[in-house]
Amino acid sequence: MAAIEVDSIVRDFGSTRAVDGVSFHVEAGEVVGLLGPNGAGKTTTLRVLAGLLTPASGHARLAGLSVIEHPLEARRHLGFLTASTGLYDRLTGREVLQVFGRLQKLDEATLAARIEALVKELELEAFIDKRCGALSSGQKQRISIARAVVHDPSAYVLDEPTATLDPVASRDILELVRRAKARHKAVLFSTHRMEEAEYLCTRLLFMRAGKIVARGTSAELLAQSGKATLTDAFLHFAGALS
Amino acid sequence: MSAWRILLGKELLDVVRDRRTLLLTVLLPVLLYPGMLLLMGAIVAAGTLRLKNEPLTVAVVGAPTLALLARQPTPAKTTFVLHTRAEGEALLKDQKIAAVVQAPDDVDVALRTGQQAVVTVLYTKRFDRSMEALDRLKPVLEAINAATLKGRLDTLQLELGFVQPVKTEPVDLDFQKDLGPLIASRLLPIILLTMLIIGALYPAVDLTAGEKERGTLETLLVSAVRPVDVMAAKYLTVSLVAVATALANLAAMGVTFGMGISFGGPATTTFHLTVGQVLTMLVCLVPAALLLSGVSLAVASTARTFKEGQSLMSPVMLACLAPALLSQMPGIELSPVTALIPLLNVALLIKASVLGTATLVEVALTSLSVLAFAALALKIAASAFNSEVFRFGGTEGWKTLFGRKTV
Repeated sequence: MAAIEVDSIVRDFGSTRAVDGVSFHVEAGEVVGLLGPNGAGKTTTLRVLAGLLTPASGHARLAGLSVIEHPLEARRHLGFLTASTGLYDRLTGREVLQVFGRLQKLDEATLAARIEALVKELELEAFIDKRCGALSSGQKQRISIARAVVHDPSAYVLDEPTATLDPVASRDILELVRRAKARHKAVLFSTHRMEEAEYLCTRLLFMRAGKIVARGTSAELLAQSGKATLTDAFLHFAGALS
Repeated sequence: MSAWRILLGKELLDVVRDRRTLLLTVLLPVLLYPGMLLLMGAIVAAGTLRLKNEPLTVAVVGAPTLALLARQPTPAKTTFVLHTRAEGEALLKDQKIAAVVQAPDDVDVALRTGQQAVVTVLYTKRFDRSMEALDRLKPVLEAINAATLKGRLDTLQLELGFVQPVKTEPVDLDFQKDLGPLIASRLLPIILLTMLIIGALYPAVDLTAGEKERGTLETLLVSAVRPVDVMAAKYLTVSLVAVATALANLAAMGVTFGMGISFGGPATTTFHLTVGQVLTMLVCLVPAALLLSGVSLAVASTARTFKEGQSLMSPVMLACLAPALLSQMPGIELSPVTALIPLLNVALLIKASVLGTATLVEVALTSLSVLAFAALALKIAASAFNSEVFRFGGTEGWKTLFGRKTV
């Protein structure tokens, strides 16, 4: 059973087909990169996987649980992170973690232990009790990472999490992925940064116009495209190169 | 702990730490009403007193007019100066005098021979001093009229009833001495409903469109929580803020009126709310808060940004304020029919409660009617929260509000 499973998903917005029969899976311990130009359908696919959007047809499962039929149970296995930190400015970092931990049904003792572990791991000591509105972008990003994984999910879905970050803050995300891989988590990672994809991902999926047009390791994609770099391969699959 | 309770705690903590919400709900009413009404009363009183004590010059046209006015004591701080009518009008226009009085040249003969003399008083409503001069001249002329009439009746050995067989004497038992309840019945429905609406609209926009804009809503919805739990927490939070706003306003108004407001006249405007009146208002204000919270959440949830949410709220606010204004129209009163019209019934019940005319049936009808509409608004809000419009702000139009459901 794959930790993340997407099967023949179709999703329309009005007369536009945003996702057209996309299928893939991510096994535990795998980091799969989801690549593609803007409007390719990456975010829609990830939102379907997170239960934010309902597919016209197809299935999405987390830890074998359908996100449509068993949304709450499925989402207990999901750690979802985007470029937006999505924090409450008037709450402290600790309060944010407590709210999301409780929503994931962690008991108070487990939650307290989990928060302390994350504080040490992500080096949050200096600002965990400050209101999020007063934190720097990098500090917010680290609280956001802690929020996404406070319940120790088995599947990580990261939607362009480094898109708006500077290299220092991006490093925290890459470190999160590296640690997740080491802990045998399944990671689905959407990005525009080819060096990140090459560095982190065991496999790559390339989307264009709502479909997966190429898949494989970075070496396999280079071979399929006949290009020397992943950036050129990206341009090739995006149709920007002849 | 259930998800909605966890979220309610989070929402309330967030709201309590929001300075803008606190300003709207607590500080504004607590400072505004006593400050505004007492200051207004003081300004009006000071203005009235100043006018009463201001020396005024009145132009008198011709010696016969001066002789006529001399029949009664000259009003305090008033000086009569002889002028021609043309001079008087020019001086009045330049605000150098306050009024012009002109009696006919044969006024003395007319009064002695039982004829009528028409005395003209030229004044203008444009200047307060001119209005004050008119107020000072009227008693003088009325006294001359009364004295002359009495002389004529005495000569003919007739009683006053001969020339005035029927005398009308209106007696306003309720408001003769104290205008407090009357003013409160006009002010309270509009102010309470306005603040209730503001109390519901602002947090509704902040908790839906604002959260969408800040990216916190998506974060919340991908956690293990049902949209209905999110909706319940937000709905209760908005309702609590709206009720708190209404209560703070009610308390501030009660204290202000309780202290008494003088508008410069002989009567001091005082008004005390009884426990029964407060309870009656609460019985309709709480369901009204639930109704407005449901409506504002349903509408605000379709917006993508806080600014867009505020724009959407403008027509909602106008639509909700219309019944409050309508309640002040002549002839619109609480009845079994108007008690069924949402918000109008609330405004009318507040008005009736202040005046002490609300009946139990009207209270019950109003509450039940508003609760029924609140339930409908809640159902629409629940549909909104279950739709993708709520998540991503109307990308598929309003039809999805009642259509596609998501997990």
